[in-house]
Amino acid sequence: MQSIQALTVDPVKTGAVIETMALTKVYPGDVTALDGLTVSVAPGVTGLVGANGAGKSTLIKILLGLIPPTRGQAKVLGHDCQARGETIRTLLGYMPEHDCLPPDVTATEFVTHLGRISGLPPTVAKERAAESLRHVGLHEERYRLIGTYSTGMKQRVKLAQALVGAPRLLLLDEPTNGLDPAGRTAMLELISRIGTEFGISMVVASHLLGEIERICDHLVAIDSGRLLRADTITSFTQASQVLAVEVEEGLVQLRAELAARGLTATVQASTVQASTAQASTAQARTLLVPLGGDDTYDVVRDCVAALALPLCRLQQRRHQVEELFRDERDERHERHERDERDEEVARNG
Amino acid sequence: MANQAAGVIHDLGYRGYDGPRLGRAQIIRALTWHSFRSAFGIGRGVKGKIVPVLAFIAMCLPAFVNAFAVARGNARLFGYDVYVPTLRVALVTIFIAAQAPELVSRDLRSRVLPLYFCRPLRRGDYPLAKYLALIAALLILIEIPLLILYVGTIASAKGGGAVWDETRALIPGLGVGLMWAVLMAAIGLVLASLTGRRAYSTGIVAISCVLTFFLSLLLIQAEGGQDATATGARVAGLFSPFTILDGVRVWLGGNPHVGLVADPGRYGPLYGLVAVVLLAACLGGLAARYRKVSQS
Repeated sequence: MQSIQALTVDPVKTGAVIETMALTKVYPGDVTALDGLTVSVAPGVTGLVGANGAGKSTLIKILLGLIPPTRGQAKVLGHDCQARGETIRTLLGYMPEHDCLPPDVTATEFVTHLGRISGLPPTVAKERAAESLRHVGLHEERYRLIGTYSTGMKQRVKLAQALVGAPRLLLLDEPTNGLDPAGRTAMLELISRIGTEFGISMVVASHLLGEIERICDHLVAIDSGRLLRADTITSFTQASQVLAVEVEEGLVQLRAELAARGLTATVQASTVQASTAQASTAQARTLLVPLGGDDTYDVVRDCVAALALPLCRLQQRRHQVEELFRDERDERHERHERDERDEEVARNG
Repeated sequence: MANQAAGVIHDLGYRGYDGPRLGRAQIIRALTWHSFRSAFGIGRGVKGKIVPVLAFIAMCLPAFVNAFAVARGNARLFGYDVYVPTLRVALVTIFIAAQAPELVSRDLRSRVLPLYFCRPLRRGDYPLAKYLALIAALLILIEIPLLILYVGTIASAKGGGAVWDETRALIPGLGVGLMWAVLMAAIGLVLASLTGRRAYSTGIVAISCVLTFFLSLLLIQAEGGQDATATGARVAGLFSPFTILDGVRVWLGGNPHVGLVADPGRYGPLYGLVAVVLLAACLGGLAARYRKVSQS
């Protein structure tokens, strides 16, 4: 707990898009959704991860100024959520988790109308609606009734309506909900593009870490209303953003070849036999190459091709972050138990 | 080819917007205008237009016929303040039963409300805009026939005095119409906002209006009819919004021998009070309803 506090109280205040201080929300019936959450979110794409019921949606509602916190304070783009809710909502775009589209209007009409409600003058609303829909990849379809759309198209309309008001910050709640794998990838690419090319900061809430780590700069993990960890994605994954290269033979040569081209590959430690490095190297078939960018794939491919090695697997390692979380949660749990034990000992002693 | 073109357009890139933004009042106006249009099915399919347009035509028809008859030398048959009373009750009921759900249940049903409340609106702004829109729509439905009748009558009126008399008769009629619109819109919206299921909310509105109206009519008849002076007959109109409105009309000086209720006599102020309390209750209920919805 101490380390988390130290990390988050640390004043990264310069340019933080979201700041919460000891934010607590207790719903009627003593349901604690947020429990003293203190976190600061830097500009860029931030993943907000946590299991269902961890408090993600509650946090988003407080940030939108829709519900007041029980205790604590939240600031969005420097404005207090309770006092300046309206101002904040002018600057925010929100994509809810659930279905929120009427079936009997066209996407153009709907997004234009919501653009007006965001405070855009009529002609601007019309232009921006057309642009937003085009940015999310809806072209001629936008003149069709929303009721005739596929789930993927509906998700795109939801994203377009969040974009229409020219927000400075986007809050996306489970944007890949209900999509098939291809749709998920497309949606994530779209979100990533909005973050990088459009320069809009965003918070993407999700319970799927594997997805979120592909598009985020930062990660905020919450669990039962408490902050688990907040950091940059790189320090989260550390060396775990790797490409696993499995070859049937010629591992050593491949390693040398990669080194010659500037990639330091490590041999995946054998879980079964770690007695001698020599033995494990001989038996191992998998190299872990730090994943720098798309070039890494090319270099690996060229090396394998140059050596004419039988390649059996090339895999980007995911779920690493997930494991990290699990460890941390377990650690915290253990520490908690240990503390309790100590207390008990102290009491009894 | 199509993909290429799309790619080219895409390369224009994203543009932000730093221009002027509408204030809250203008946003409410935009939402009101949008809702007003949808109250007549504009921006919806053909199906959405059937009920409001038919109700409007049916409401105007007597005015047209009478205006035509006046042009042929006959007298004006319908009073402006009690224009075709039972037909008006029926058509206003049909209109709000069909269109109040169009304004509110539809948004509840498709769960579009979070998209409104995450924008720079305040909690009360959404129901306020819907209320203003339904009032405006009801005014069109109720007042346009009166204006048709008025224009038709003064077109064949002889002399300025006749026009003045006609105008003096019209103004209270418009006032009564406004009263109807203000109260019935509130009742229609609060009932319709109870559920997102459109068929149910239509049913709730229609049944509440029709049943209470017949209850009041029956009580009035049982107590001796419209010309009765018994206390029972005088207060029997308090059981339905339409008869309350008519009671208020008589209390404010309208002709007690036409219309829907027995002359309220000294119970007139009671009609006024009940009308105000009913309106306040409906608006309070509507505000409370959306306070709850905006948080979920």
